[in-house]
Amino acid sequence: MENILCLFVNSMEVETREIARGLRRRDPDLLDELIGRYQYRLPRYLWTLTGSREAAEDLFQETWIRVLEKGHQYNPHWRFEAWLFSIARNLAIDLLRRRQPESLEALLHPGDEAGAQDWPDRQSSTPFESVAAGEQAEHVQGVLRRLPPEAREVLVLRFQEDMDLHEIAEVVKAPLSTVKSRLYRGLETFRNLLEEEMA
Amino acid sequence: MNPETDERARRLIDAWQVEGISASERGWLDAHLAECSSCQSRVEANERALQALRTISFSVNPALVSTTQARVRLRALELRENQVRMRALWISCALSWVLGVASAPLVWRAFQWIGIHAALPSLIWKTGFALWWLLPAGAVAVLVAWNQRRTANQEDDTTLPR
Repeated sequence: MENILCLFVNSMEVETREIARGLRRRDPDLLDELIGRYQYRLPRYLWTLTGSREAAEDLFQETWIRVLEKGHQYNPHWRFEAWLFSIARNLAIDLLRRRQPESLEALLHPGDEAGAQDWPDRQSSTPFESVAAGEQAEHVQGVLRRLPPEAREVLVLRFQEDMDLHEIAEVVKAPLSTVKSRLYRGLETFRNLLEEEMA
Repeated sequence: MNPETDERARRLIDAWQVEGISASERGWLDAHLAECSSCQSRVEANERALQALRTISFSVNPALVSTTQARVRLRALELRENQVRMRALWISCALSWVLGVASAPLVWRAFQWIGIHAALPSLIWKTGFALWWLLPAGAVAVLVAWNQRRTANQEDDTTLPR
């Protein structure tokens, strides 16, 4: 068991070293591959932060431009995902500040302003996706919208992106204890709201 | 049921999902869950919540990946071209500095000769000599500053045009 774990850790280290080397060289093939690899997860995370499909897609592009420009700063001891998501997060925060500097909180709480943000809904998806998503997904999206942004963010990173607590702390630039308390509170609120919705 | 035991069980149920629990805690929790239906329903509610969270999908514009890849390749090309230009600039600076140092005694004599033959005060031809040294460096500094400003503007252009 330990050998398997060791092998897994080693292969991850080899991969991050290769990524770091490729980023230093600004290798376009490597970037193409990484863009493809994160084409669903990164926009989903950005959408969680901004609540806007258009902003999520713009920020997705912008994040990869930043990865190209700042690639030499990537430390292979970090997991690439955590570094990538922290770049995306900084850009999202910059965007939110630029858009409504007087009310960042309001933008971070899309549920407070009906219609201000275009959270994915059944109309905006393709017919196939709408059918596949179903009633439950709509409820879940509605519930997620009602969570405070910091709780929504850590829940997504922990349970959708499967990041560990240390990685989440790196991404959100918060102490581990803060991440834990946000997760506990977020999970509790999400569970209670979901139960209410389902009842 | 003991409220303290229930409270401990609830804490462990959440911790199990959020950060994991030890084997002994898991053993205790399993034993408790076997006889406590309210805690068992909390486990089920947590599982339903997490399962629901994982079902959320975000459909991506199919052109997004290819657009991003093209944009990144273009920017990589620009950065590479810029790097080549900067390298050429630094090489010419270094070459100019070496030649300047090597030719300094000759240039000094030339300025001195002109100063004496034109009957100029020594301050004038010495200032001329200093300028001979400073002007190229000044020109290069201006060029580098201009280039850096241009690069910074290009970076700003890539940030979310609205």
